[in-house]
Amino acid sequence: MPGPLTYPPTTQVPPARTLASCARAATAAELAYRIDVPIAPSRGVRVVALDDGAAAMTARVAAREWVSARFLVADATGAGDDPADMLLHGIGGPSAGLEEHLVDADVVMMIASNDSAATGAYLLGYACWQRSIMTAGLVLDGLAAPEVVAALRPHARVLLPAADESDIVEMLIALRA
Amino acid sequence: MLRREINDLLTQTGPKTPMGEMFRQYWMPALLAEELAEDDCPQVRIKLLSERLVAFRDSEGRYGLIDEFCAHRGASLWFGRVEEGGIRCAYHGWKFDVTGQCVEVPSEADNSSFCANVKLRSYPLVKLGDMLWTYMGDPATIPPLPQWEFALVPPEQTYSSKRWQQSNWLQAFEGGIDSSHVTFLHSGGLKSDPLFRGAKGNEYNLHDTKPFFEVVDAEGGLFVGARRNAEEGKYYWRITPWIMPNFTMVPPRGDHPIHGHFWVPIDDENCWAYSFDYHPVRALTTDERQAMIDGHGVHSENIPGTYRPVANMDNDYLMDREAQRRGDYYSGIKGIAIQDSSLQESMGPIVDRTKERLVPADSGIIKARQKLRKAVLALRDEGVTPPGVDPAHHHVRSAAVVLDAKEAFLDSCRDAVRVVPGTPVASV
Repeated sequence: MPGPLTYPPTTQVPPARTLASCARAATAAELAYRIDVPIAPSRGVRVVALDDGAAAMTARVAAREWVSARFLVADATGAGDDPADMLLHGIGGPSAGLEEHLVDADVVMMIASNDSAATGAYLLGYACWQRSIMTAGLVLDGLAAPEVVAALRPHARVLLPAADESDIVEMLIALRA
Repeated sequence: MLRREINDLLTQTGPKTPMGEMFRQYWMPALLAEELAEDDCPQVRIKLLSERLVAFRDSEGRYGLIDEFCAHRGASLWFGRVEEGGIRCAYHGWKFDVTGQCVEVPSEADNSSFCANVKLRSYPLVKLGDMLWTYMGDPATIPPLPQWEFALVPPEQTYSSKRWQQSNWLQAFEGGIDSSHVTFLHSGGLKSDPLFRGAKGNEYNLHDTKPFFEVVDAEGGLFVGARRNAEEGKYYWRITPWIMPNFTMVPPRGDHPIHGHFWVPIDDENCWAYSFDYHPVRALTTDERQAMIDGHGVHSENIPGTYRPVANMDNDYLMDREAQRRGDYYSGIKGIAIQDSSLQESMGPIVDRTKERLVPADSGIIKARQKLRKAVLALRDEGVTPPGVDPAHHHVRSAAVVLDAKEAFLDSCRDAVRVVPGTPVASV
């Protein structure tokens, strides 16, 4: 039965005689020797609004300062079953076909607010999956939009079915976008 | 990546810090009940939220958690004597009761009222299940006692342990909601650990190393669903609840007991990992309990007389490169708990999150940090009680289920992630 000796030392300075590399390496003092070069920002984040409600929110997020994130609105009308026919309109940037916008993407965040986005969500998710691009799906009111949630599920590596604007912002910051 | 000021906000839990004030809204594990096993047993000194305290159990079985240092000259009461309804300082004999009230100053006259005006800071200390719980906030806003299922089932159905982790609480806690590391770091344990092995779910875990995630708000925090391929047209879901600020549960495996953790700050560079196992409908078997005592599953083998793991940073966690090569342990470290603590401690006492490179699969962690930050600021700026204080938020379970590919995990599992006393967990 453990006795009363449960009180840890007040600092992490290892015993003077320890030879354990982990004890020496894990001190706060050793943190100062970690290589300190700027971490390159993500260069290939695309934030794609899939419907009008999502577009309004995405535009507000786009107005903030970002390193390299590109903000787009998807137009799946006329795409049929082929994602290659999707058009992506840039928010503050050029419009182009799907292929052009995804060619150097490494993360695609898909934003939806209602079930009208279901087809576009599936097509874009599928296109990213084909290209091995990491994806996240954020649905602004997933309870009211079950079809778009279901359309995102097969391909979105992460799905937030009840997201809000701050979720988009926080994820972009975390991704260094 | 987290901005430095947000990292500081979430990792500093001492008195008067915003996160420290938030922790002080909750009942928190302070000790295991076994540490104060009988009346007038030796006292225990502990540090919680950067406050040094001494805990004792008086002659009538009352628990006390008071300032470690005598009001007279500041000597530690750890050297004192627990006797006759209180704790007496070994230096000059001043005596305090479980509320911190000074009840005797030997140098004063017998009828002196001097000691009535001497009181040490004290916090309530209450036994619930295998743990002693404290509340370190404003006595005027003390919430009802917690209602965690592991602490409410009969004693034969539950087991708790603890271990000292040499890192900030946040990096320890974040491991608790990071389901994607299981397939790698703990892959050996899924095959061999007596508290994990044999479950059908382990096969799904090991065969699909690229889980998909869904992160859903809960009243008290989050549910993080990790989805892996199962049979054709089916998904295997592991659902991890997090209740703010520091309670996590691990999804179950087969009929093994279900388990989880509390991550309690000692100070900003150390925390206690409290680990529990329980079964909601049956007693733990002798073998299960012995496996827990031996440090299997989420528990650790500790140095006798302490709560420090046998494998720790001073012995390189007993790294076994041969076992790593053979695949017994993915990292070369034995035991689920130490596999986690070794890597989390390697990040340094407080990891510099400005240097992270997160990916979408880390969304559970991203969302948890966001919720913590919002709650801390809402409490500080508007006095809003944070999620998880209300005992109704404690009625959660983890779950592991196989669902049709079209099903949303939380829609299909609302009953499975809710405590219904006396019913089994949903487990594969």
